[in-house]
This record gives sequence, C-alpha cells and structure tokens, in this order.
Amino acid sequence: MTATELVFDPFSEEFFNGPWEIYRRMREEAPVYYNSEHDFYALSRHADVAAAFKDHETFSSAYGLDLAMVKSGQPAPMKMIILMDPPEHRKMRSLVNKVFTPRQIANLKPMVVDTIDRCFTAADLEHFDVVQDFAAFFPVEVITRMLGVPSDRRQQVRQWVDSSLHREPGQIEMSPEGQQAVAEAMALYYELIQQRRAEPRDDMFTRLVQAEIEREDGQKESLEDIEIAGFATLLGGAGAETVTKLIGNAAVTFAQNPDQWQKLLDDRDKIPAAVEELLRYEAPAQYNVRRSMREVTLHGVTIPAGKPVFLLGGSANRDPEAFTDADTFDIDRDRTEAQNLGFGYGVHSCLGAALARMESAIALERLLTFMPRYEVLWDQCQRVAMQNVAGWSHVPVRVVN
Amino acid sequence: MAQKIDVDFGLCESNGVCMGIIPEVFDLDDEDYLHILQDEVTPENEQQVKEAVRQCPRQAIAIRDE
Repeated sequence: MTATELVFDPFSEEFFNGPWEIYRRMREEAPVYYNSEHDFYALSRHADVAAAFKDHETFSSAYGLDLAMVKSGQPAPMKMIILMDPPEHRKMRSLVNKVFTPRQIANLKPMVVDTIDRCFTAADLEHFDVVQDFAAFFPVEVITRMLGVPSDRRQQVRQWVDSSLHREPGQIEMSPEGQQAVAEAMALYYELIQQRRAEPRDDMFTRLVQAEIEREDGQKESLEDIEIAGFATLLGGAGAETVTKLIGNAAVTFAQNPDQWQKLLDDRDKIPAAVEELLRYEAPAQYNVRRSMREVTLHGVTIPAGKPVFLLGGSANRDPEAFTDADTFDIDRDRTEAQNLGFGYGVHSCLGAALARMESAIALERLLTFMPRYEVLWDQCQRVAMQNVAGWSHVPVRVVN
Repeated sequence: MAQKIDVDFGLCESNGVCMGIIPEVFDLDDEDYLHILQDEVTPENEQQVKEAVRQCPRQAIAIRDE
C-alpha cells in the first residue's frame, strides 16, 4: 500500500509544476490509471503508450483532443485532422503533408533564419527573457507566414492560441475569453479564405482553397470554409505553442545541466541530438487524449468502451524500462534504445516535426552565440498553466560576460 | 517463407528515417517519393529493416510473409 493516494490531475497546479514524480508512481503503481473524479483513464508506460498511439481503431481521435471534449461523448464538432480517424484523416492530411516534408521544410531555412535573427536585433543583454523576448515570438511568425496571415496580424494569432489553451487550476472547459479568442481567429481566417478565393497567392490558404478532397460518396469536392479555417486554427496553434515551449524548456534544462550546455558550446554538430533529447526529456506536448472504442483490458484493469484515455507520452519518454537513466538529461544518449514519443507515433504523429526540428536547431544555435554563459533568474520564472502543452511563459536570464 | 517489405504510401510522409537507417533498401527521390530498392527481407538486412519499421514515425512500413 502506498502512503499517499496517487492522483493524476492534468488541471492541477502540481501537474503544471512538473509531473515527473506523479508519472513515476503511475508507471509503477497504476500503469492503467483511473481518475474517479473526472472518470478518465491514463497510460504511462512506454510500451503501452506506443502501442496505443499505433492502435487508432481502439483509441479514437474523433471525439476530441481534450478531456472536456471526449467526456461529452459526441463526435468532435470541428473539422480538424487532429480530430479525425482514418480513412477521413488520411485524405485530409494528404492535402497538406507535402508542405511539411523535411526536404520542403529545408527550403524554408532562409526565411526561418531571418525571422529568428530579427528577434535579436532589439535584444538587451541585461534584460532578456528567453520566452517573452524570443521563443514566444518567432514560431508563430513562421507558421502564420506559411499559412498566409498578413504580418500585422501574426502575433495576434499567438495571443488567441494562448488564450484558448489557458487553464486555471481545476478548470477543464475553455473560458469565455478563450471562446472569444477562437471566434476572432476564425473571423480572420474566413476573411483570408475569401481573399484567396478571389486572388490566389503562394501560401497554404491558397493551397487549401484550391484543394479537392474525395468525400465518402466518392465525389470530389473543394474544402468548405470551415474545414480550411480548421486547418489554419490547428496549424497556427500547433506551430505557435510547441517550439515556444521547447526553447523555454531548453533554457531551463541546460541551466540545470551546464555540462550538457558546454558540450554544445564545444561542438555545435550536437545541436540536432540536443533537440531530440529535449523532446524526450520534457516534450512540449505531454499527453494526447483519445476515446476507447471498445473494452480494453491491460495489466488487469478493464477500460470500458467510451472513456477518455490519456496517452502520456511525457511519462513514456521517462520510462526506465525504455531508456537507460531515463531521468538524466544526456544529449549523447543512444537514441535507438526506444522510440522517442515527443512527436507522437503513428497516423497522428506530428505533421510539423521537420519544421519544429529546424526552428529549434536554429534557435539553439543562436542562443549559444547570444548567451554562451547565462544564469536563469529562478525566482522570476513562471510556468504556463495550459492544457495539452507544458512549459514556461517566463524564463528571464542574465547573460554572463 | 519469404518476407517482403510493404510500405503504405498513403501513410508515408517522406521523413526519410528509413533511408537513414538502410539506404540500400529505402530511397527518397528528388521529388520526395519513397522507393523500395529491394523488397526482400534477407538475413543481412533484417535487423536494419526491423529498425526502420520501428522508427518510422508514421508506422508506414510493415514486413509481411509471402
């Protein structure tokens, strides 16, 4: 018996402040965890999470991406690939996936470098917040530029996304402010869709306006406005939030592991490996929520059909059964030991992985130059309280000469 | 029984992880299309092909019995 009750609450202060000890206990004590208060299940071991990611027939995405949506039991109201199962998922994702292949993303490097470098032109060595002055700024610029959002509206997109994902401790549903933000974002996207229909450009809105998709009855049709706006909402949100979190986590994690930062200073060829290790050690997306489509029995626990199931990739990536010294941050670790689930796995694995890798690598490279020696002002750091993504909103540093 | 490599090209998104593991078997062309250069699983390539199956982020590669 355990001394204290094991509670995994993804909307609690304790979770926002670092879930690693809770994850460890879940993997050891309750690999199929049940939360009676909110009536959901959670898988935390690497083998179980990886298998569940692959089994989209049992663990459906079509009922929502968060607890509130999946709990409702209704198919998701929005048309987004993150909320679809095959075969519809495959048809929709294929409309955009050629834009995000590593080769296509590599062609965007000059644009990404330029966007990142602009952040440093006004940077102040004495007062530099790695998130507020840097990591929050450039990812949304890059993805909204790819989409075709005009430059004067791009930072607004980030504020809308922040607002829609923010959760106070204990808050499961989106706030009225969050709903307002979603409505304003949709209005902008509808406006841009109309503009691109009238006047095509070289951007993703135009690509989606011109795309055709085969419907269930075999007919080919153009996408509806709401489907295109759904894509923009999803890509804008995913592109704006995740790399921001990864770079904030990087500044904190490297400050706690200065020997690893020194390795990077000594050999910048290790930057791609460092990005992979950051994704393993503290991925921006800590979990995905699915719905059980049939009864599943695992480790002696039966998950009934129709329940929300959290797949804790963040815990799986710290599973000592999968990774040697899983709680050690080591950019030189053997990456073939187990699948890194930082980008998910299977049909829903991160569409923007190549873009995220490139943005993160360039950002780390620039930080190594800008702040080879730095101290984090720990008492001024703040974590975000959000669903689906974890990380820091404020990481002020002092650059040491 | 012979074993063959089977790629679901509807799932493949040209990440090139497989080519990084065993370029003698998997090749991405200049247009980002994946080609299987040799579809038979042999004792020589079996271990690396299995690694490619596991590491494919899309889980688009399978080994099937002929």
